[in-house]
Order: sequence, then C-alpha cells, then structure tokens
Amino acid sequence: MQDPQSLATTPGQGQAFVGIGDQPTLDGSAGQLEHVYRLADPALSELALEPLLDELLTRAKDILHVDTAAILLLDDEGQELVARAAKGLEEEVERGVRIPVGSGFAGRIAAGRRPIYIADVDHADVLNPILRMKGVRSLLGVPLLVEGAILGVLHVGTVTPREFTNSDAALLQLAAAQAAPAIDRARLFDALDREHRSAVALQRSLLPDLLPNLVGIDAAARYLPARDEVGGDWYDVIDLPGGLVGLAIGDVAGHGLRAAALMGQLRTGLRAYALEGHPPGETLKRLDRMLQTISGRGMATAAYAVVDPVTGTLHYANAGHPPPVLVRGGEEAILLDVSSAPPLGALPFASYHEVEATLEPGDTVLLYTDGLVERRREPLTDGLERLRALTAVRATADQLCQHVTEELVPAGGGEDDIAVVALRIMPVEAVVRVRFAADPQVLSQMRRMLGRWLQAHGAQPSEVADITLACGEACANAIEHAYGPGAAYFELEADHQEGLVTVRVRDTGRWRTPRGGHRGRGLKMIAAAVDELDLHTTEAGTELVMRHRLGPG
Amino acid sequence: MTPYADIRFETIGRVIVARLEGEIDMSNAGEVGAAITGRVTSDAVAVVLDLGAVEYLDSAAIHVVFELRERLSRRGQELRLVVPSGSPIATTLHYADVPRAVGAAETVTAAIADVEY
Repeated sequence: MQDPQSLATTPGQGQAFVGIGDQPTLDGSAGQLEHVYRLADPALSELALEPLLDELLTRAKDILHVDTAAILLLDDEGQELVARAAKGLEEEVERGVRIPVGSGFAGRIAAGRRPIYIADVDHADVLNPILRMKGVRSLLGVPLLVEGAILGVLHVGTVTPREFTNSDAALLQLAAAQAAPAIDRARLFDALDREHRSAVALQRSLLPDLLPNLVGIDAAARYLPARDEVGGDWYDVIDLPGGLVGLAIGDVAGHGLRAAALMGQLRTGLRAYALEGHPPGETLKRLDRMLQTISGRGMATAAYAVVDPVTGTLHYANAGHPPPVLVRGGEEAILLDVSSAPPLGALPFASYHEVEATLEPGDTVLLYTDGLVERRREPLTDGLERLRALTAVRATADQLCQHVTEELVPAGGGEDDIAVVALRIMPVEAVVRVRFAADPQVLSQMRRMLGRWLQAHGAQPSEVADITLACGEACANAIEHAYGPGAAYFELEADHQEGLVTVRVRDTGRWRTPRGGHRGRGLKMIAAAVDELDLHTTEAGTELVMRHRLGPG
Repeated sequence: MTPYADIRFETIGRVIVARLEGEIDMSNAGEVGAAITGRVTSDAVAVVLDLGAVEYLDSAAIHVVFELRERLSRRGQELRLVVPSGSPIATTLHYADVPRAVGAAETVTAAIADVEY
C-alpha cells in the first residue's frame, strides 16, 4: 500500500501504468525556474476562465514538449469527467468526451486524486477513443484540486513514447494549481450568475424599469421575490394624459413562470387601457374581459387608482385585492376601501365599482399585495391591522416602502412574493426653484408643475394659462440657448407675494437676439401674456423675469 | 409622436381635415407638422386644421402652422384654421396675432365652405 501522500500510483491493473514513485520535485535548474515562472505567472490569474485555460495549456504543452494537453472537468453530479479545453486534442472538447470517474486514465486520476503516468497507451485501459485515434503513446495527468476537492484532471500526452519525470509531474501540478482556483471561481460565478440573470431578466421584463418622474408626486415601489418560487405580483406607476397619475398593483394566483408570464400580460393590458384614459372601474372591467379571452387563463387580484396631483382627487377600483392604506401626517392610517369585488377572471360579467377620496398635500396612498400582510393560521384582518399600525408618518414614499417591507417581510424573503407601491402628494411650496435639463421634453412637466403651484396660490384658470404660456416661451428660449457647448440646464424660480407672481427663468447661455419670426414671436407672446417682462443678460447667462398680478384688473 | 398630442385625419371631398388634440410645444411641433404634411395628397385643394381640442400650443407650434401654410401655398393649396371662440388656445393664438394673419373659422363645416374649389 502506498503512502497516500505519494503523488504516483500503480493501480495494479496492467503493467503499462507506471508509478512515478517519489514526490514530484523540481530540480532547481535555471531553465526550470523559467518554466515555473511561466506557469505560476500572476498575470494569468487576471484572465477570464477561457483565455486562462487556453494560455495555460499552450504554456504547459510548450514547456513539457508534449503534443497534447487537455483539461477535463467533473460534471455537476460528480460522476463523469467532461472535456473542457484542449490543445492538440480539440476533438475531445468538440465531441464532449465523457469519462466515468474511476475508469480509464483520467477517471483514475480523479478517483485517486494523484498523478498518473502511462508509458504506453496501447496497453492500458484508456477509454478515450480520441487519445487512441490521435496515436497518443505516453500520458501524464494530474488532478485539479481545490481545498482537497476534485474539480477535474489536467493531462498531457506525446505521440512518441516518452518517459515523464518527477519534475515534469511537478511542473504539470503547478499548472493545475494555477487553473483549479480559477475554474472553481468561474463555476461559482457561473451558477450564481445564471440564476441571478434569469431572475433579473424576468423581473426586468415584467416590472417597470424606472418610475416616471412626476410633478408634485413622490412615488416609490418595492418588489421582493418569494424565497423559493417565481411569483406573479406586479405594480405600475403610469404617467397618464392630462397630468393624471395611474397607480396599479396586482397578484396573479399561483406561482412559477406561467404566473409570471400572465402577470406580464396583465400589467401590459392594464397600462394600455389606462393610457386610453379609462377610469379605474372601466380599466379593471376591460382587463377582466381580456383575461377571459386568454386560454388556460388564471385568476388575479388587482387594484387601480387614478390620482390628480393638482386637486388630490383619487379614484380607485378593486378586483379582489386587499384595501389600500391612506397615510395622513399626524393621524392614524386608514384602510381606504374594504368593499369586496371578484378577482379578475373569476366571474363572467363582473363589474368594479369606484371609490373616490381626496388626498391632501403630504398624504400617501400605499398599495400592496397580500404577501405583505398574510400569515399562515392568522386572519387577514390581523395583518391589515399590523400594516395600519406601522404606517405612521414617514417622510417620503421610498421611506414608507422601506419601512413596511423591513418590518413585515422576514429576512431572506417571504413564502409569497410581495409588491408594494406608494404615492405621496407633495406639499406645494411657497417658493419653487427647479433645475431642468435643457431638453424640450421637460416643457410639459414644467407646465404641470407651474400650473399646480399657481392653482395652489389662487390663480384663476385664465391666469394659469397666461403665466404658463409666458413661462413656456421663456423656457423654450433657455433650451435654445443651451444648444452649443456647455450649459445643459436652466433654472426656474417662482414666488408669490401679496397677489404678485414673479417667475424667473435663468440659463447660462449667451443671449442671442432672436432672428426671424419664430423666437421673436415667442417674446411677443410673453409680453402679451404677462404684465411685465424684463430681460437681464450678464456674462454668466440670461435671465427673463416675468411679473403678473393675480385677481381682477 | 409624444403621448401629449394626437391627430385624427379625415378627407371630406378634396379637403383634408386634421383634428389636433392635446399639447403641442417645442418638443413635438416638428413631428406634428411632418405628420400633417405627409398626409397631404396632391389632389387636395385645402387642409383644414381643427385646433378646437388643443389644450396648449406655443410659438414653436405656431411656427409650424405658418410653415405648413407656406408649403401648401407653393403647391396651390390652402390652409384653413378652425378655432372656436372660447377654445383653450384661442387666447394664445390671439397673442401671436394668428387669426388676423391666417384667418380662423368657428367650425370645420364653415372652414370647408370657405375653401375655393
């Protein structure tokens, strides 16, 4: 019986297996030192797995003067070795040669975790047909080990008979020591990456990338996957025509990819009906009819609310979904609507009634899926009560989402997936100062923001229209100034003092006297729309100041 | 096209009616202009632009209206505007002196009746 530390073995099956004998050692010659450097080169560890294996095999083949070099890795079950990379034996990889652990040349190295040298392939039980086909005569192989665990086998071969030495084996082990940790790392990343990538891809495709940036609204959301399964929860925040905001949430019954796929269809359907301008009850009704047409359909609960950020009016409809929570500063949170309606896809000809509520500035409405509040062997009302008690004053929508998920979801995820979406009506400030990107796309956002602010300060609709028009022209001017290097932003500041509204639009571009009718017309329109218009130009930029007195006269 | 504006086209006789709605500003005025131009066939005698349902327009949109008028006139085609009194953008157009320069009808029917065949 050999010393298990010995790196050579004679399996005792056919004399062609030749034990190397002593511990492989290096002779310390100058030439060998160079080989060591080449195989232990730290630069190799910076390579990705494929180029690393490729480079190592090339160097090993070169240094050991062999004709073939190959790496076989243990499969996931640990039963077979699969060819992974090769030089001079590329077919081995292409054909996906598999060698059972314990049999054949490579299989014995893996089983014994020790180097093996075969002097003459013809007389050994080499299983790999490609080694025979290539006419490989002599083989030297070493195990790929990480912390004592076998990952695979690295072997080299020659087509002319060759006596491998201890120092050959030592050099090959050096190459194996370089390759093994890299393979281990890459495999781990691979597994994590694959799982993560598919989960992320699914979630990305089905949930919103980014919540829209909405004027006067602070919105936030969370999606927490279930511990073990893919779920069918979704949420959405929709920038509706006319400055309204849609807030949606839903939960497809069941789990798995099927539930997730149906979720994707429902989210898209709801968004499409919502963008057509349908009120919440009608939107859910259409979504229900759409679901009825999907073959092998499922069921889903959903809730949809439309909020007017200017008036704070909220219209809400519910299809079997848990009630939304209204969080009002300084008061106890209330459940908005506890009436019941059938889930989507549950009954023919279902209809969904609407509830109206008014959100005050600073109020937050929170929608969520049942995973947040449901616990086994506990009535749902207990969970709702827990949620209501938790949603005391939170400064932002994001903080509220963070707080409820932290408090109610066990670490590592719940049994069910969870979606939470919150929308807060921002209080109107006395003075607004906003920096906008110098991009025409911000104009409609600017108009809504200013309109909401003016309305809150008592401006009549015609005054809102006039000041917004003037300001729109001033901002368009600032955006045109920004065309050129530098200035990519402009700033709008509005304040209100005893009936006098002052709006300043500042940019960092040089004033250009309008040429042609277009911009000149804009300035004429500002002058016509507001009481006073001043233009200040400095080295730093241009400022348009518009003043308008509210009220009669 | 941005979701802030929409156009519906209708052909009545040899007149193309384009009904605009929503908000037209610097960000989408060019697209709106191009969409209308693309619909004008050579046998049309006039284009009627119904602005009654437009909630907002700015000088960039007005510029596009003037450009459209000029392009049509080079091809011997007319542009007629429909701006019902009290419509959201009537005041804006007034500030820009558009009704005096281009003329505006109360209804689409009146605008078509005005077209010279």
